[in-house]
Amino acid sequence: MTSPQHPAVELTAITKSFPGRAGTVRAVRGIDLTIATGEVVALLGPNGAGKTTTLDLLLGLTTPTSGEVRVLGGSPREAVRAGRIAAVLQTGGLLRDLTVRETVELVASTYAVHVPVEDVLRRASLTAIAGRRVSLCSGGEQQRLRFALALLPDPELLVLDEPTAGMDVAARRAFWDAMHAEAAQGRTVVFATHYLEEADDFASRIVLVAGGRVVADGPADVIRSTALGRTVAARLAPEVVGPAATELRALAVVHDVRVDGDRLTVTTADSDAVARILLTTLDARDVEITTGSLESAFLTLTGSTPSTGSTTPATEGAAA
Amino acid sequence: MSAMTTTRGERTAYARIELRRTLRNVVAMFFVVGLPGFMYLLFGASAGYSQERAGNGNVALYVMISMAAYGAVTATVGIGGSAAVERMQGWGRQLGLTPLRDSTYVATKALVALAVAALPILVVYVLGLLTGAEGTPGAWLGSAVILVVGALLFALYGLVFGLAFRSEAAVSAASGSLVVLGFLGNIFFPLSGVLLDVARFTPLYGYVSLARYPLTEGSVIDADGNLASEALWMSVANVAAWTTILAVLATWLVRRSRGRQ
Repeated sequence: MTSPQHPAVELTAITKSFPGRAGTVRAVRGIDLTIATGEVVALLGPNGAGKTTTLDLLLGLTTPTSGEVRVLGGSPREAVRAGRIAAVLQTGGLLRDLTVRETVELVASTYAVHVPVEDVLRRASLTAIAGRRVSLCSGGEQQRLRFALALLPDPELLVLDEPTAGMDVAARRAFWDAMHAEAAQGRTVVFATHYLEEADDFASRIVLVAGGRVVADGPADVIRSTALGRTVAARLAPEVVGPAATELRALAVVHDVRVDGDRLTVTTADSDAVARILLTTLDARDVEITTGSLESAFLTLTGSTPSTGSTTPATEGAAA
Repeated sequence: MSAMTTTRGERTAYARIELRRTLRNVVAMFFVVGLPGFMYLLFGASAGYSQERAGNGNVALYVMISMAAYGAVTATVGIGGSAAVERMQGWGRQLGLTPLRDSTYVATKALVALAVAALPILVVYVLGLLTGAEGTPGAWLGSAVILVVGALLFALYGLVFGLAFRSEAAVSAASGSLVVLGFLGNIFFPLSGVLLDVARFTPLYGYVSLARYPLTEGSVIDADGNLASEALWMSVANVAAWTTILAVLATWLVRRSRGRQ
């Protein structure tokens, strides 16, 4: 990295509103976010959460209504001009009557220096279909082409907006394998997704966005435990199960206690404390600690369904 | 970022690929080059009056300039219109991720439009040369230069249609409207009377009469065979007015589309 002293991304109190049909749409309602170089961060949220708008602000495709956006120590547009930031956008963006290779050559010509065309075609697994018209490429192939275009400037910061939307399972896995290879070289990767598994599998840090605000931010496992807590299960001697349940229910960190014969299941925000009590004072056996699913965390935090059909008033309007 | 081999961006690649892409569109190129060439042979070269004198040349040259004009504007309307549509359908966002400046994009498109507009002019002029169009060198060269440069005005015409209606169909409609404007522009057959008075205010009329000026020096033959004279300032005013109107419209439409982002 050429400038380790600057964070890759610094968003300070940004808001963004658009004029919409039914009055002003407030897509982003105040986001503060700092991403260090080398991080792999997922922006996770339902449709309409403000993810695309946030990424557009990051890329300089639109300007904030208020607040400040800094990318690698400068303005987004400066980072784009220098080829230090690149992106794979969600929709559109390709000329259907060009071939795959022509598209890469054309975009390559806009950079002062770029990675050789054959090189990016190979890294995006496009060499075999380089002569194919874009209109004849599948959704997954078109997405790989957008990925190839993003690799051209050899960017320090790679931004991906719903990169695997419309891909089948195999294509999705292949895409993330390619992305792992890029991240392993020290690139900062910021991606938006509403696939919970994707955020969980690929990102080291998850920023949960809903209604144009950040509702949670941290390592994936912390997000899970703070939002939903962990589940601690153990077997106890039959005569202590009842009193133990009563004792545990009294603790502030315990959300719920269920009793099933001699088996006790405790939902808690502090699994370490509960496990310590179970093992030291209650003589528990077969202690199991499991983490709640990110999907449940999502529901708890945002009060919204994670996939589709969101009715929040905000939109991801800039792409429309 | 890493110590990777890099290549210098090839400055001319954008224009080269755009040009190749335009020429590959066989249907569009038929209307740009084939049709004007065919119409010149039909109405110019094979017509009985083709060898009659007209200003600094003959009638064949007069028809030749008209048909070349029609081909040139068909080309530039298509390029201007599809530029607007492709930018709004997401290519603008893709280009927004590159160092390419708006001014470079516009200059590249203008360069491609000039090159493609020159094609029907070249073809029709060569056909004219082979089939008896005659005129002074000034009439040949002057008209050709005015045709190429003036065709850019119609790239704006296509751009306005594309920006306003945001679809490929709108661009086809814009190209189709050129047939009507062509009749009103005195391109396909001579007009007279009230129709001619109205036609003087339409955009193709100014462009074609300006291109014919090196040949006719302002003389107009109407449908009844009467010779009328037309001042140069009228053609210039027509072209200047339409350039202003279309430029203002295009600017307003670009602002409107930006406001939605």
